[in-house]
Formats: sequence, C-alpha cells, structure tokens
Amino acid sequence: MPATTPAKGRGRRRAILGAVAAIGAAVLLAGCSTSSGATGSGGGYEQAAKDTKATLTYAVWDENQVKAIKANLKGFNEEYPDITVNVDVTPFASYWTKLQTQGSSDTLPDLFWMNGPNFQLYAANGKLAPITGEVKAGAIDPAKYSSALNKLYTYDGTQYGVPKDFDTIGVWMNKALFAKAGVAMPAKDWTWDDFQKTGAELSQKLKGDGAYGAAGGMDGQTTYYDTIFQAGGSVVNGDGTKSMYDTAASEEGLQFWTDLIESGASPSIKQLTDTTADQWFTSGKLAMYQGGSWFRSALTGTDLEKDVVVYPLPKGKEQATVIHGVSNVVSANTKHKAAAQALQVYLAGKQAQQQQGDMGAVIPAYEGTQDAFTKTMPDADLQVFLDAVDYAKPLPVSKNTAAWNTLETNLLPSAFDGSTPVDQVAKELAQKMDAALAKEQ
Amino acid sequence: MTSSAITARRRARSRRGGSHWWIHVVLGVGGFVMAFPFLWQIIMSLSTNAQVQSVTPTFWPGELQWQNYAQVFERLPFLSQLGTSVMVTVIRTLAQIVLCTLAGYAFARMRFRGRAVLLAIVLSILLVPSQVYLISQYQIVQGFGWLDTLMGIVAPGLFSAFGTFLMRTAFLNLPPELEEAARMDGANPFQTFWRIMLPLARPSISVLAITTVLWSWNELLWPLVVSTRAEDMPLAAGLATLSGDRTIDYPVLMAASLMAMAPVLIMFVVLQRRVIDGLASSGLK
Amino acid sequence: MTIHTERHPTADIPARTPRASGPGAHGPERRTGTPTRAGLRRTDGYWPWLFVLPLLIGVGTFYIWPIIQTFWYSFTTWGVFGGATFSGVANYVRLVSDPQLYQSLLNTVVYTVIVLLGIPLAVWLASLLNTPGLRFAQFYRVLFFLPYVAMPAAIALVWRIMFNGDYGIVNWFLGRFGIDGPYWISTPGFALVAVSLVGLWSSLGFSMIILGAGLKDIPPELYEAAELDGASRWRQFRSVTVPLLSPSIFFVVIVTTISSFQLFDLLYAILGSTNPVIPKTMSLVFYFYSAGFIDNDKGFAAAIAMVIFVLIGIVTLVQFRIQRKWVQA
Repeated sequence: MPATTPAKGRGRRRAILGAVAAIGAAVLLAGCSTSSGATGSGGGYEQAAKDTKATLTYAVWDENQVKAIKANLKGFNEEYPDITVNVDVTPFASYWTKLQTQGSSDTLPDLFWMNGPNFQLYAANGKLAPITGEVKAGAIDPAKYSSALNKLYTYDGTQYGVPKDFDTIGVWMNKALFAKAGVAMPAKDWTWDDFQKTGAELSQKLKGDGAYGAAGGMDGQTTYYDTIFQAGGSVVNGDGTKSMYDTAASEEGLQFWTDLIESGASPSIKQLTDTTADQWFTSGKLAMYQGGSWFRSALTGTDLEKDVVVYPLPKGKEQATVIHGVSNVVSANTKHKAAAQALQVYLAGKQAQQQQGDMGAVIPAYEGTQDAFTKTMPDADLQVFLDAVDYAKPLPVSKNTAAWNTLETNLLPSAFDGSTPVDQVAKELAQKMDAALAKEQ
Repeated sequence: MTSSAITARRRARSRRGGSHWWIHVVLGVGGFVMAFPFLWQIIMSLSTNAQVQSVTPTFWPGELQWQNYAQVFERLPFLSQLGTSVMVTVIRTLAQIVLCTLAGYAFARMRFRGRAVLLAIVLSILLVPSQVYLISQYQIVQGFGWLDTLMGIVAPGLFSAFGTFLMRTAFLNLPPELEEAARMDGANPFQTFWRIMLPLARPSISVLAITTVLWSWNELLWPLVVSTRAEDMPLAAGLATLSGDRTIDYPVLMAASLMAMAPVLIMFVVLQRRVIDGLASSGLK
Repeated sequence: MTIHTERHPTADIPARTPRASGPGAHGPERRTGTPTRAGLRRTDGYWPWLFVLPLLIGVGTFYIWPIIQTFWYSFTTWGVFGGATFSGVANYVRLVSDPQLYQSLLNTVVYTVIVLLGIPLAVWLASLLNTPGLRFAQFYRVLFFLPYVAMPAAIALVWRIMFNGDYGIVNWFLGRFGIDGPYWISTPGFALVAVSLVGLWSSLGFSMIILGAGLKDIPPELYEAAELDGASRWRQFRSVTVPLLSPSIFFVVIVTTISSFQLFDLLYAILGSTNPVIPKTMSLVFYFYSAGFIDNDKGFAAAIAMVIFVLIGIVTLVQFRIQRKWVQA
C-alpha cells in the first residue's frame, strides 16, 4: 500500500473518485429501494381460487419442525395444487438479521414466522398484512386461540399474526434425583417457600454428586418474568412506554432468584452462563428445571425420559406463567397476497394444527388440537402446560424488545449473584429501559 | 573448517537424527494442540447430544453413533449444497485470478493517471469489516435481480482487494528487464502480460487460489442472507441451519462440519507442495 | 563480530528489483515504469484502463459505494427499514462520549496484541519445521494448518465446550497442575483471553506457512558463513534468520492486525448472544453489529463503522512507516 499519498484531497484525483462513485450510483439507483412508510394494505381478503398459480416462500427458523410443515404443505396442496411453497430455514440467530435485510428492500418472504419480541417492529413499520379481512370472512376465528396470544400479535387495534403454536412454563422434575437425595416430591400446589426449601435441601443432599436442586439463569422467559408476574408485578406497562422493574412487586420477583442462589439451591450465575440450566438437567445434575414445554423434544429418546414429571410453577402472591408462541404473518408487500393468505389460513386451520400436534414438535395453538402433545410423554403429566394457559401472561415485549433485553442481560446478573442490592439494580435497569423505550416512540 | 565440511557435518547430524528429537517433541506437542479440537469434534460427532452436553465431559461415547453422519444427509440436501459450494468457489477463484492479475499487473507495472489514488481506494475496502457491507450489497444484488441466484451469492466476492495487493506485489518482484525486452520486440502490453509476466507469477496465483478457496468455502452470513432455498445454499450456510431454535443438535452439526471440511483439507494435503513452493517464490517477502 | 545483513548478491536467484518494491512500496514517483528507448514514458495510454476497469467497476459497485453510503448514513438518523433524516454530527458526538466505544477499542487492541504474540511463536515453529531433512515435516505442516481449514462456527462451539468452567478440558488440564481454572466464558477478563487464545490458535497455521516459505528463501550459505565465524545457533537465528525474514514477518503482522481488528464471528460464536460479559468483552465490530442489528440504530452503527475504518487505516499506515525503518530491503 503506497504510504505516501493521503488519497483524498488532490484535485484531479477527485475526478476519478467521482467517476467510480458515479458508476456505482447509477448501478444502485437502478435497483435501490428507499423508505418504508406504511405500505400495508387495508386488510382486504379474497379467498384465492383453487387453481391459483404461485410460488411462495415460507420462512421459518426451526429445522426440527420442517417435517411437520412439509406434512402441512401436502394437505395444503390438495386444496391448492398449483401453489408451490418453498420452505426457507434460517437459523434463529441469523433469522432476524436476514429478515431485517429483506425488510429494508421490501423483499420479505410471502409468509413467515414472527415472534413476540420482534412483532411490533414489523407491524409498526407497515411490513405486515392484517388478518382483519380473513377474520371478517370467517376464514380465521380468533376465538379458537388463546386471547393472550392474539393480544401479543395485535398492534394498534389490528391483529396481524395468526398464532401457530404456544408454549408455557412449568417445572421439569427429575424423580430419580429426588429418590437419590431421599427427598419427598412436593405437592403440586406448592408455593415459593416450598420451592426454595426443596431446592436447598436437594442441593445439600446432592452436593457429593455435584448436582443441584434448582437453577436460576438469565433466561427471563423461564425464570424471572414468571416470578415477577407471580409477585403481582410486570416488566413493561401496557402500551410499552414505561418499565415496571422498579416496583416493589417486580423487585420481589427478582429477589426470588437472588435468594435461590444465595441459599446454595442453585448454581451461581457464572456457572449458569457457562452451562445453561437445561444442560444441567439433561446431564442429570439438576433436580428441578424451570423450563418451557418445548423442552420435551430435548428429552425424547434419552434415558432421562422415564424419570421426568412436570409440575406447575410454584405460587407466589398469585399463580402465573409466561405464554408465548410463534405466529404466521403475511408480508404487506407480497406479490402473491391471495395465495399467501390462503396458506396462512390453511396453516391456522384445525387440520394443519392437528397435524403439527401429532408430529410432536410443538403445542399447536388451535383449541382442542393439543391432545397429541400430552400423549407423547404419557407419564410426565404434560397436561400441566396446557392447564397453565388459564393463568398465563403474555411475554413482555415492545417495539424494540431486543434493546432492553440486552440491558437485562447486562444488569441483572449482579442482582442475582448478590453483589448489588436488588432494588438498586432494578432502579438502574428501569431508568435505562425507559430511555430505550422512549427512543422507540 | 571449510564450508563444505560444515555442510557435511550438518547433513551427517541430521542423518543420525541425534539432535532432532527435541524438535519432534516441540512440533508434536504443538501439532497436538492444533489438532486437538478436531479430535474432540470427531468424538462429539460419534456421541449423543446428551453426552456432548454432559456436565462431566464424555471422553468416549462407548457406543459410536455412526448414524449421526447418515442423519446429515437426511437433514440437509448435503450433496446439492456441496455442489453449490464447489460452483461458488470455482467461479470466484477463477474470477479473482483473472481480475486481480490484470489489475495487479497494471498497478505494478503500468503508468496511468491516478494510479496511486485508485490503488489506495481499492485497498481501503480492507479496512471495513464485512458486516458493514451487508445491507448495501443486498440491495445492490436485489437491484440486479440476482437474489436467490448463484450470481447473487457469487457477485461481491468476485472482486478482491487482497488479491489485487498480492498480485501487485508479485509483479513488482519480477525483473523489469523482461518487459523491456518484450517491448523492444514490439509486443503490446497485453501480450507482454500474457506471455511473459503471467507465467512467472504462477506461484502467487497459487497462493491467491488457496486463500480464495478457503475463504469462499467457509463463508457464512452473505450466502445465508441472499438465498432462500436450502438446495441453493453453499455448505457453510446450510450447516448453520442445523442450529435449532432453542436446541442445537451438536453431534449432527459436528458430523456435518467434518464432512464439509474434508474436501478442502484433502485438497490442501494433495497440493501442499505446490502451496509452499508457491509461497516461497511468490515474492511475498 | 557482526554478520552483515544487507542484501547480498546471490547469483542463483534471478536478479530482482530492489526489495524496496515489496509490500509497502514507495510512491509511484520512485518507480520509473517501463522506460523506452526514448526515456521515461508518462503513461501507457489506454492499456492500463483495460486491465484495471473490470476490477474497479466491481469494487466500486460492491464495496466503495456501500462505504460512501455508510459515510452518508453516519450523518443521519435512520429508521429500521429506511427513511433517513439528516442529523449532522449527532451520531459522532454520541459515539465519542459512549464509554462502550473505548471499552470495545480496548478489547479489540488486547485481542490483537495477544494474537500478534503468536507471530514470534510462529517464527520459531516455522524455523523448526524448516530443519533440513526433518522427518514427518509434511504431516506436521498439515496439523498446523488444520485450524485454518476448519469451519469457524463449528470449531467455535467445540472451543466453547472446551473452555467450560465446570467440565471443560482446559480447566481439567489446569487442574492437573493444581490450578483452579476460572469460568472462562462468564468472567469478563478471562472471556477475552479465551477468545484471544482461540484467535491465536487459528491464525498460527497461516502465519507458519508464510513464514516457512520465507525461510526457504534464505540461502544456507549464510548460515554456514555464520557458523564459520563461530556464531551459536541462537546468534545465527538472531542475526541471519530474523532480518532476512523481516519482509515476511511484516506481511504477516499487517494481515493479522487488520483481520484481528475485525473480530466478530469468533466472539459471537464463543460467547453467545446472551452472555453478561459481552459489554466488557465486545470488539469494535461487535459494537457495530449490536448497534445496527440489535438496537436497530443504523445511523449510529454507520458512525461506528467509519471510526473503525479510520482506526484500522491509522494503524496500518503506522505499521508501514515502521516497516520502512525496520524491514531489511
């Protein structure tokens, strides 16, 4: 590299720079798309004719579910034989980067998976097509899905996503470890105190094996969101403008985990960052794992499967659990609106949902199709997850959930490991979170 | 002592292998440290997922889970992706060789207005991390209508500043007398380039080829973003899809990764001699 | 007794232009181009453009234009999906007063330094590997090159497991020496060290290959002459090997520095995205990624990108200046 010339700044050379840039600009202008604005349609819906021809792209992130999706598509093609659907699997970590890139140039897939934390971002920027038309025409019936989920995918009064599946949180118990420690299984209507005491006792008795009774961790959905709700608090207020972390109830919810770690019932936060709670459980080193219904697929086929039973979450001031689920959304700018909506409708229908449940990958959202799920592990009482829907609260989200999720990850560990008092951390977190929420408006 | 006597003594010493044992120890230990993660990867690929994630490491899975390798073919369109990887790599390598040798020669040996500035501009793109280009390049590729096509995956990687720098250095190190002679014989610049300079730069071209192949083979984010059909993705991107939502199937991922690595590794082993010789006389120094 | 290290006429190597034309050449004024019978020619007419244009067009379209775009965006506030509004130097002001920038810079520098420490190691190993008549040399070479061939995502996962605080191999190994290993991935300082060690591990092979090739070019007569003068092995290394190898060393240093400053994938893969140590461990590019794709603040991210550009540029320029003094022609 010639070290002598400070490149920019010499007159005639600018001409060359300009030429190169001009060539580039011309090329770019040929295809550059600009701002977004609300380009969403008015929610119109026309049932697609049965002989509609189209090729759709359906973007998903979970490779485990592809088999079930392909089965769904087979059924779909019986109704619409000329619509070809290409399933595009992108790993979760890169899914959102890809989606954002596509969103910036309005080349979003025709139909794609959406989750709670990212939903508002896309809805608010007019990237999604509402399902109002389909609901009006009776093709989709919101009453068949949990109201918490419907709410999660509603923005500004309009619902954009139709729920595809859901998950709730329960406690996975390892009966064998209980037996080893000589501790009796608690009652199913247990409270926070019961949980803490059992955890501590188990840890003490299992110390020799390097095992623990319970585990905290930084996965809010399975841990501290639930306890915050159970203490009567919440994470973010109704319209996503203010953080609720610095309320007494929320702080109580956080304190639960500090106490759990302090009493030795749970591994330390450092240990849990290195090895996540679910790994402790699958290695047989954790007796009680607070986890989601999705965890079932990690257990099938393992030795652990026969020792496992599910308990509802312990009760705090009230009983609560976090519910979340993926939804299917149609791109507002898709070139094949009718076809994409036809697919959306089909996947939300009873037949497709039943199929999803039977193939066991997830709990389908449609009312009454969840029986297959409970049958996959008949002795584990998976019904607990379904019953939990009654007292479930939706996952806390806002327009840019990821921004304050990062704040939680950065600030909460010092509260959990006891190095900073919980209320201090909560206050700081709330302040920073408010700043992030304010930026969204 | 005469110089030939010294050489003779040295050779005798190495024949005896006497003072060399400690070299083997050092290189052996070093080599082991280099290779250990791969051994571990092999072990992981033959274990079950639970064993991989067990809190006390499973050094030996007991029952070798060969089916993980078969599973790779079930879960991924492996061969199709392998084909894509090969196509992408070959096209890119050829393109880079052509474009970078041409440009490198011009920057090294030809005089033209603004040469220094243009070179600096080209090299400046190395100063920016690749993630910065992502959205812009996506929009450009989309503008050309190359989304979801081989061309789209290949396009940005056809042009390389590193390659240009490499070839320029190589040409700079060749004696100018050859060109003078050619010019005096009336050859135009292209003939000079094609018949005389290029063959002499072959070692550097090998280096360029190897680095481009390796980089292109393992490239992940760009192909992932630009393609939506699994069959059209190259291997590295295809592998990434094995990382599920909340669970990663480690054994299958490791098996797939080992299989994906194999072609390039074999190529390197076979071409080792060429690569080293290429680097030795490439005038990189 | 000194051993003269200037370039030495070596009859068996084809005459070369002075080494000053290696990496880091002087500006065009020094080189005389291709002299004709009539003397210096100012330009070669339209020929150079034929040679250079394809590359320039490609680079201009796919790389320079995005850089210009990024430069422009750094002065705007960008919505997530487009729609920029001009905001002057607001992003830069915010950037300069953000402690995270300096932390990221520090982390990147620490990482780079640790990885650069691998270069002396590579020189030593390469010279060992270059021992004449060494058996299994090919085999060793393949072993050392393995990390460079590996698929980064998978290998990073393996390392993550190996660095695990409770059951990782690294701590198990340290335990044999009575050292109580830390929780590498979850403790701020150690996480950076862990990632740096992996960076060093994966770049060693490439450096060794380049340096090995450079070593091959050092004529053995020099060593013999040194031995004749009574120089010890170490002295020979210091006075013959290192100076003559300096251009290769320089090349390796430049390439390693530039790529270390762009650390991201490795960090992301080893730490994971929800690791509390990220703020204290993140690199400059990670900072860019988190601003652009997680916080969705693309204008701010563009400003970070520009700062990275300038920083790497400065570092590289400095290295080239140093090269003039230190690298033997």
